[in-house]
Amino acid sequence: MLRILHDTNYDFIRWWKVMAAITIAFIVLGLGSLAIKPLNLSIEFTGGTLMQLEFTQPPDVGQIRSTLDGAGIHGAEIQQFGTNREFTVRAQDPAAVAAQSKGAEGISVTIERVLKQKFGENSLRVVRTEGVGPRVGDELKRGAIIAILLSFLITLVYLSIRFEWRFATAAVIATSHDVFTTIAFLKLMHLEISLTVVAGLLTVLGYSLNDTIIIFDRVRENLRKGRKETLYETLNRSINETLPRSILTHATVLAATLSLLFFAGEVIRPFAWVMAFGIITGTFSSIYVAAPVLLWIERKWPRQTGARQTSSTATPTSRTRRSTATATR
Amino acid sequence: MSLKWRIAIIFGLIAASFWTLFPRTVVERVKRNGEFVYDTVRRVPLKRGLDLQGGMHLALEVDESKGVVADKSKAIDNALKVVRNRIDEFGVSEPVVQKAGNDRIIVELPGIDDPRRAQDVVQKSAFLEFQITDETQALEKALPRLDALLKGKTVAAAVATPGAKKDTTASSAGLQSLFTADTSKKADSAKTDSAKAAGGTVGGPGAFSKLVQQGRMPGEYYVAQTDVATMTQYLALPEVAAAMPPGKVLRWSGDTVSLGGRIYRGLYVLDAKPIITGEFLTDAKPNTSPTEGNLVQFTMNNEGARRFRTETGRHIKDYMAIVLDQRVMGQPPIIQSAIGVNGQITMGGKDLQAAQDLALVLRAGSLPVPLKVADVRVIGASLGQDSIHKSIVAGSIAIALVVVIMLGYYRFSGALAVAALVLYILYTLAALAGFQAVLTLPGLAGFVLSIGIAVDANVLIFERIREELAHGKTVRTAIDEGFRHAMSAIVDSNVSTALTAAVLYQYGTGPVRGFAVTLLAGIAASMITSIFVVRTFYMIWLNRSRDAQTSLSI
Repeated sequence: MLRILHDTNYDFIRWWKVMAAITIAFIVLGLGSLAIKPLNLSIEFTGGTLMQLEFTQPPDVGQIRSTLDGAGIHGAEIQQFGTNREFTVRAQDPAAVAAQSKGAEGISVTIERVLKQKFGENSLRVVRTEGVGPRVGDELKRGAIIAILLSFLITLVYLSIRFEWRFATAAVIATSHDVFTTIAFLKLMHLEISLTVVAGLLTVLGYSLNDTIIIFDRVRENLRKGRKETLYETLNRSINETLPRSILTHATVLAATLSLLFFAGEVIRPFAWVMAFGIITGTFSSIYVAAPVLLWIERKWPRQTGARQTSSTATPTSRTRRSTATATR
Repeated sequence: MSLKWRIAIIFGLIAASFWTLFPRTVVERVKRNGEFVYDTVRRVPLKRGLDLQGGMHLALEVDESKGVVADKSKAIDNALKVVRNRIDEFGVSEPVVQKAGNDRIIVELPGIDDPRRAQDVVQKSAFLEFQITDETQALEKALPRLDALLKGKTVAAAVATPGAKKDTTASSAGLQSLFTADTSKKADSAKTDSAKAAGGTVGGPGAFSKLVQQGRMPGEYYVAQTDVATMTQYLALPEVAAAMPPGKVLRWSGDTVSLGGRIYRGLYVLDAKPIITGEFLTDAKPNTSPTEGNLVQFTMNNEGARRFRTETGRHIKDYMAIVLDQRVMGQPPIIQSAIGVNGQITMGGKDLQAAQDLALVLRAGSLPVPLKVADVRVIGASLGQDSIHKSIVAGSIAIALVVVIMLGYYRFSGALAVAALVLYILYTLAALAGFQAVLTLPGLAGFVLSIGIAVDANVLIFERIREELAHGKTVRTAIDEGFRHAMSAIVDSNVSTALTAAVLYQYGTGPVRGFAVTLLAGIAASMITSIFVVRTFYMIWLNRSRDAQTSLSI
């Protein structure tokens, strides 16, 4: 039988202050750099035009830029996309977006025309065009935020029913932590935030929540066993007991994520990056955010244990018992 | 549940999956030699989203640049019918035309590789205007000014369309057999054509005026079809627009005319303010009259009739252009007398089909609002193919890696999980086909990712079984207990993920929705395979090899 990290007994939670400092530093670094440069939002959110072009010969980027400037399209971002014959052109500045409000197709038609004049009729092919008006972008932005907040709310309710509100709150706080670290990651990597990346972010949240739930499920079970130990010890024990599962699952998910990262092409790559980071932050937050927060909540609002008021109670209350009883039915 | 029943259910699901996924014959509108025809196609019934098969997505909004529209929602409802009619005529397989929100129309046209034409069709038929042709020779007076403007100015060459090329050959063939008074002029413009094809036109003296010639009625001009692109570019120049006579607009004709072997397009100078717009039109139908040929009769509502009567009464003996989406339809008729409730448009020798089309457009197009494109997304078919191909590669590698990990770590039990993973893939695809979900690129990525996540439930169960075995339980008990104890974790984690996916489905658009659907199908399939199927496999194994019960390879 092949075993990894079996029957371990690490004191994970002991390091929570160090870990908190690291993650806060990371978030501050990421979100702080927003002051210098804003998030790299895709045209889906800002409005603007994106074109993916395939040239027959590797073109000179400078020439593309000067041609577009000559046509009055300033500040377009030109990026290589995969091979050296494929490029994306993004016209996203306010002037381009304003021109968009007259009709979204205008700029892309101009770009195609001037580039074909410059490089020749058959020298390039438009592979993909996206033109989004400013209003559509605003609605999408709102939709994405609503989706995240609503998923939090639903999770909170569901976990409150299945566990209890302390666990639910700790799990949701751990998951919100992942929103911030992932945004910081996106910022530091200068990844473009598209709808697909938002979907990736939500997948990360779901994955991280899964991880937290698996550990909390163990905690719930261990509490029910009524060992003479503090919650601190129970949490550590539960993390250790679920460690082999965590390693295995992270390995398979990482395998899938890396396949996407390396083989699924440029369009999917940002999504794969988010997911790769999500495996790290999800694991981290399940151990170093969810568990300490749960401990803290316990100290602040201890479960009714009768005489004892300390957080280090190990005896599950009648209330917990009831809720876990429904859970294990 | 007895083992027999379990096996029956698993095989039942497999059979159902194969049945759902089996390539079947469907009647579809497909493209053959550039034409759309109904044909039968055999294909796997998995719907591909626009990003995978290529096509165009459009969001249309009310264009308020020409005036505020009071009830946008109602206007959009009306416009929806128009757009749908137009799209149906366009002949796209499985188009989507729907209202989104209160004031937007979403159009999805799979497999459209000519975005501009489709865009024209969608935006066309929205706005009808009646405008009086110019009587004051306004363009004639402006010509010297326009020529001076263009003198010495380099104008980028027009993108030659295949149609224009054909016209060029036709006209030069016609030239050799015709020696009209105009020959020199035509030869001149033919030269311009070749210069244009070479890459750039320098606007020499009379650059503007040599392209236009007086038509048969006031305000009517002809431009050779080969020069239309150049002229369009001239007109698009801001300085040219500024030099145009005030209070007048230039509109192209929707048709071409053949004069002396050459094809010309009409260019009309019209009073900018329409005497009436299509919002008052209540009905239009085609008809044939012995004296006037084919025509379209239309009816106005009371208010429209009143206005129309006043305006036409003021313009007797003038020509009235019927302008649909800034294109002049047919030859502008002369106003014989004040027109009230009923009017007619003669088709000028065109067939009844043309009259029927115009009537349809007028009926459907009698809208108060022009539309603009708020959002456009065009994905080339090759990009979609490429995406599918790459996703398959990534998926295969992901599967291979997961199989290696599971077999390496869990040996025999890992093999059971791998067998279940195969069923997982089958069931998920079948569920997607069965619910007619649309497969998108993020959806495919989500599916690949879900292969890694799907084994999580098995991992949870296997780890539990290991624990139970470590506690000294018999193999049979350990398996039972392992499944039982892992259940709450599996259910809770999957349900919370499913809830997130449901939110994503509710608030997502297009590709993201596809992603949510894949996620949901994956969760369901993974619960079935990891809990039910693997359990059954264990039961078969326990029944078969009684001696093996003392040790389990896990």
